[in-house]
Amino acid sequence: MPKKTSKKEDKRQIIEKPEKSEKTKVIKSVKTTKKISKKIIKSKEKIPVKKDDKKIEKIDLIQNKENLKISEEINKILNDNFLPASIIDAITERVIKDKTLEPKLNQIITKSLEEYKKNLIDPSEACGIIGAQSIGEPGTQMTMRTFHYAGVAEINVTLGLPRLIEIVDARSIPSTPMMNIYLRDEYRLSPDLAKEVANKIEITKLNDVADIEADLTNLVIYVNPNAKTLEKKGTTTDELLESIKKIKKIDAKLEKNKIKITLDDPSYKKLLDVNETLKDLKVKGIDGIKRIIIRKEPSEGYVIYSEGSNLEKVLEIEGVDPYRTTTNDIQAVGRVLGIEAARNIIIQEAYNTLREQGLNVDKRHIMLVADVMTADGSIKAIGRHGVSGEKSSVLSRAAFEITVNHLLQASRRGEIDELGGVAENIIVGQPVNLGTGAVELVMKRITKKV
Amino acid sequence: MLKYTRFEKARIIGARALQISMGAPSLIKIPKDVIFPIDIAMLEFKENAIPITVKRINETQFRRT
Repeated sequence: MPKKTSKKEDKRQIIEKPEKSEKTKVIKSVKTTKKISKKIIKSKEKIPVKKDDKKIEKIDLIQNKENLKISEEINKILNDNFLPASIIDAITERVIKDKTLEPKLNQIITKSLEEYKKNLIDPSEACGIIGAQSIGEPGTQMTMRTFHYAGVAEINVTLGLPRLIEIVDARSIPSTPMMNIYLRDEYRLSPDLAKEVANKIEITKLNDVADIEADLTNLVIYVNPNAKTLEKKGTTTDELLESIKKIKKIDAKLEKNKIKITLDDPSYKKLLDVNETLKDLKVKGIDGIKRIIIRKEPSEGYVIYSEGSNLEKVLEIEGVDPYRTTTNDIQAVGRVLGIEAARNIIIQEAYNTLREQGLNVDKRHIMLVADVMTADGSIKAIGRHGVSGEKSSVLSRAAFEITVNHLLQASRRGEIDELGGVAENIIVGQPVNLGTGAVELVMKRITKKV
Repeated sequence: MLKYTRFEKARIIGARALQISMGAPSLIKIPKDVIFPIDIAMLEFKENAIPITVKRINETQFRRT
């Protein structure tokens, strides 16, 4: 039953809002704070380049006035009835675009109000269980095939069930971290600038740009830079020298085109040690970003896809659009952009992994999961170490795992169980506080006799 | 009139049906062929004749509907 209705709702949603761009969807689906949504809108307006800022401001002002006018009108029609702000925004947007809709505003609002009420869930509905089953049942149909070359050529992404488990477990590092790095204005249009940014991001090791030769008889190491690759990666021999000098207890000098490295106190073992560190020496780039692919997207320009993820550092690079760049590392998003952003990324990632497998789970079920995971301001896993393990009720915890331990500890501490949840009430043998069980009957004072 | 959720409706009809099944007189005129207590209770509910309502703990959550 729940599946059926959710499918219905899904279809309705698609029919109702077919022309919305990806970005407005993001804004809508999410309870972003005003600040953030404003930022997003700003970045959206910046996309058409080469327009005077003043012009944009003027257009903005006019739009704001119209917005206010129409939303006031809508509020008048609504007359204390409730519609979510996102729906009102969508209607205003549409009405501004299409002036012929304005006289029909009353009709539109009443109709959407009707539809909204029809879709509302009843209080004390067991939405958690419905959500769990709606995700769990399609989950059983997921293939176990872990690796799949999805869209982006050559980058390996964990998909399917393993990825879903990863998201729900709130792992600190995903097994295949990945980033989609979007670029700002002129950077996304010019291949050279995009390449430049990519070079700043992709990690370059000394071994990639130079040959390292160890002279065992004289106990010196020669680093022989390859001019071609140096140019390709956008570094110089001097920069190599700088980074080599950071290694302790050695001395580096430029000799002709080579870099000569001598040890402070030479020994055979130390020479080999230094040789190893030299091979792994980072010359340029960001830690954790192993490989980079630049692709030209039709309506976007150049986009950088990276294997490995480091959100903090990538956002600092000039030319990267911080508003749209994403990673699949949920914990990093939570750390850098905050808990609401983490919630969004959980919803997005889970929804996409399910959809890639051809499973249409309603977004609202996933939203509920994401809400539970992020409700207290930190990202908690679903399971032993997170949500289930931190429940306040002893009986509910005992019903989940390690029954005896929980009961023992609880009796030692003298815990009190409020019998608020489902599991506790079933254990005790009471009606559960859900659905019909949550209704309390009273006598009607005035009866109407027929 | 108060609008009931489907759970409340079920609960009210259930409680009334129990009374009827134990011999309570019906509050409205019931057709002769309806003898099943739940059917009688549903007819009474439709007529708004059942002297039972619900106590809502948190009224604000219902205000939207």
